[in-house]
Amino acid sequence: MSVQRLPLRFRISLRRTPGTLGSAWTQPLAIAGMILAGAWILIAIFVPLIAPYDPLAQSSQLVLEPSSAHWFGTDELGRDVFSRVLWGSRLSLPLAFFLVAMAVAVGGILGGIAGYFGGWVDEVIMRATDLVFAFPTIILAMAVTAALGPSLRNAVLAVLVVFWPSYARVVRGLVMSLGQADYVSATRLLGASSRRALVVDVLPNVAGPVMVLATLDLGNAVLLLAGLSFLGLGAQPPTPEWGSMVNTGTQYFERWWMGTFPGFAILSVVLAFNFLGDSLRDALDPRSSWAVQGRDR
Amino acid sequence: MLLGVGITFVAFVLTELVPGDPAAANLGQRAIADPAAVQAFREHYGLDKPLPVQYAVYLQHLVTGDLGQSEQSHRPVRADLSEYVPATAELAVTSILLAFVLGITLGVVAAVRRNRLTDQVLRVISLGGISMPTFWLALVALYVFFFKLGWVPGSGRLDPGVLPAPHVTGLYTVDALLAGQLDVLGTALQHLILPAFVLAAYNVGLLTRFTRSAVLEVINNDYVQAARAKGLPERTVVLRHVLRAALPPIITVGGLAFANVMTGTVLVESIFAWPGIGQYAFHSATTLDLPAIMGVSLFVAIVYIVVNFVVDILYGVVDPRIRVT
Repeated sequence: MSVQRLPLRFRISLRRTPGTLGSAWTQPLAIAGMILAGAWILIAIFVPLIAPYDPLAQSSQLVLEPSSAHWFGTDELGRDVFSRVLWGSRLSLPLAFFLVAMAVAVGGILGGIAGYFGGWVDEVIMRATDLVFAFPTIILAMAVTAALGPSLRNAVLAVLVVFWPSYARVVRGLVMSLGQADYVSATRLLGASSRRALVVDVLPNVAGPVMVLATLDLGNAVLLLAGLSFLGLGAQPPTPEWGSMVNTGTQYFERWWMGTFPGFAILSVVLAFNFLGDSLRDALDPRSSWAVQGRDR
Repeated sequence: MLLGVGITFVAFVLTELVPGDPAAANLGQRAIADPAAVQAFREHYGLDKPLPVQYAVYLQHLVTGDLGQSEQSHRPVRADLSEYVPATAELAVTSILLAFVLGITLGVVAAVRRNRLTDQVLRVISLGGISMPTFWLALVALYVFFFKLGWVPGSGRLDPGVLPAPHVTGLYTVDALLAGQLDVLGTALQHLILPAFVLAAYNVGLLTRFTRSAVLEVINNDYVQAARAKGLPERTVVLRHVLRAALPPIITVGGLAFANVMTGTVLVESIFAWPGIGQYAFHSATTLDLPAIMGVSLFVAIVYIVVNFVVDILYGVVDPRIRVT
C-alpha cells in the first residue's frame, strides 16, 4: 500500500497548497466570466427556442434600424440580425471547444513524446514548432486556408495548424522537468513502467498549465476563426457566422447595427474566456500575471 | 538561417497543396480556353517543371535576392514589397510606440495602485484589449470618429488630391518632414492616428499586464525602500528605481508585440484601405499567387527574427548583467 501511495503524496506536495484552484471561483472576474460563458452556452443550446426569426429567412424589410420587432435591425437581405447573432453561437462556441481540444490532443501527444524520449524525435518536433512560430499566426492561417480553399472546415484546420505548437512546447517542458523530479525517479525505481510514470505521475501535473493555456486559447480560437471568416476565408454566406457578418457590416458602413452587434458577440465570448483563463492562471501560478499581489514582504 | 530555409520550404509546400490551378486563377476567361496561352503562362512561371526543380530554381534566385515575379501584378515580388512595406512599417512602428507608451504607463499605475479600484478597472481594460476583435474595433472606430464625429479623415494614407512628399523613405510622415511640407505631414498624421490606435489595442492590453507584474516583482525590494527612506519623491522612486529594474522583462514582449501587429495589420489594412503588406498578403493568398505569398511570408519571418535579435540586444543594454554572446 505504501508503495502505491508514495508518488501520490509527493505529487500533492509538488502542487501548491490545496484549495488554491477553488479560490479562483470566488473572484469577481471569474464569476463574471462564468456567467457570460454560461449564458452563451445556454444560448447555443436553446437557440431554436429563443431566436425570434429564422436566421436565413429573407424578407422585404431590408436594412431596418433596430426596433421592437427587430432588436438588432435587419440586414441587406431583410434577415433579422438578432436571430443571426444568436445562431452564430452555434458555430463559434462548439468550433472553439473542438479546436482547442484537438490542439491539446495533438500538441500534448507530440510534446509528451518529444519531452519523454528526447533525442532526434525531440529535435524534429521542436523544429516544426519553431517553423510555425516563425510566421505571424494569421499569415500562416491565411496561407493554409487559401491553399485548401476557403471554407469553414479549412479555416478550422488552419487554426489547428497554428495552435498545436504552444501545447507541444508547454507539455514538453513540463514533461522534461517533471521527468527528472525525485518522485518520478522514485516510481521508476519502484519498478513502475515508463508508461505508468508518464500517465500516473507526470500527466496530472501537466494538467494545470495546459488548462490555463486552453482556456485562454478558447478566446483566441474564436478571434482567429472570426478573423478568417471576416477576410472571406472561413464561413461562406449565407451562414450566420459573426466574422462574416462584421464583414457585411463594413460593406454597409452607415448601417452600424449590421456589423456592431455580431462584433459585440465576439467580444463578449472572448472576454468571458479570457476572464476565466486569467483567474485560473492567478489561482494556479501566483507569480505570473495579475496574481502578483506585491504583498509587503 | 536554417529557419529561413525551413520557411521557404513550408511556404512552398503550402502553395503546392493548392487544389486550384494558378493559371486558372490568374488568366482571364478567354485565355484559359486557349491551351497555348495556358502553356505559355506555365512555361513563363516555370510551372511546367517538376516540383523539386521549381523549388531549387526558387532557392537559387533567392540567394541573389530575387524573390520571383508575382503572378498577379506581373511585377517582381521585390518591387511589390518595396512599394507596400513602407506603408506597413509606418503604421506598425507608430502603433508599437503607442502601445509601449500607453501599456507601460497603465501597467505602472496598476502596480502602484495594486488591488485598489484603479487596478481592478485596468485589469478589465487590459483583458478587454486582448479580447477585442481588431477588425471590429476598426469598423466601430471608423464609424464613430470618421462618420459620426468627423474628427479624422476616412481611409487611405493621404487626403484625395494630396501628393506624397518626394520619396526618400516611403514613410509619408518622415518624407513630408524631410521636404518641409507641413501640410502633407498633417494629413499623413491624421490618416495614421486611427489605424495606429486600433492596431495598438491588443498590445496595450498585453503590455499593461506585463508591466504590472514586472513592476510588482521589484517594487518592494530593499533598495526601493532605501530610496524612499532617503526622502526621494515617490515619482522619482517609481520612475528611476522601480521602472528601471522592471524594464528588461517588459522589453522581451517586443517580439510578441511585433507578431501581434503583423497579425492585426492584415485585418486593419483591409478596413482602412491602407496599401501595405497586410493587404498584399491577403490578395496574394486569395489569388494563390505563389511567389508573392512566399515573398511576404519570408519577409515577415525574417523581420520577426531580426526584431527578436534586436530585443535580445536591448535586453543586454537595459540589463548589464546579460551579455549577448
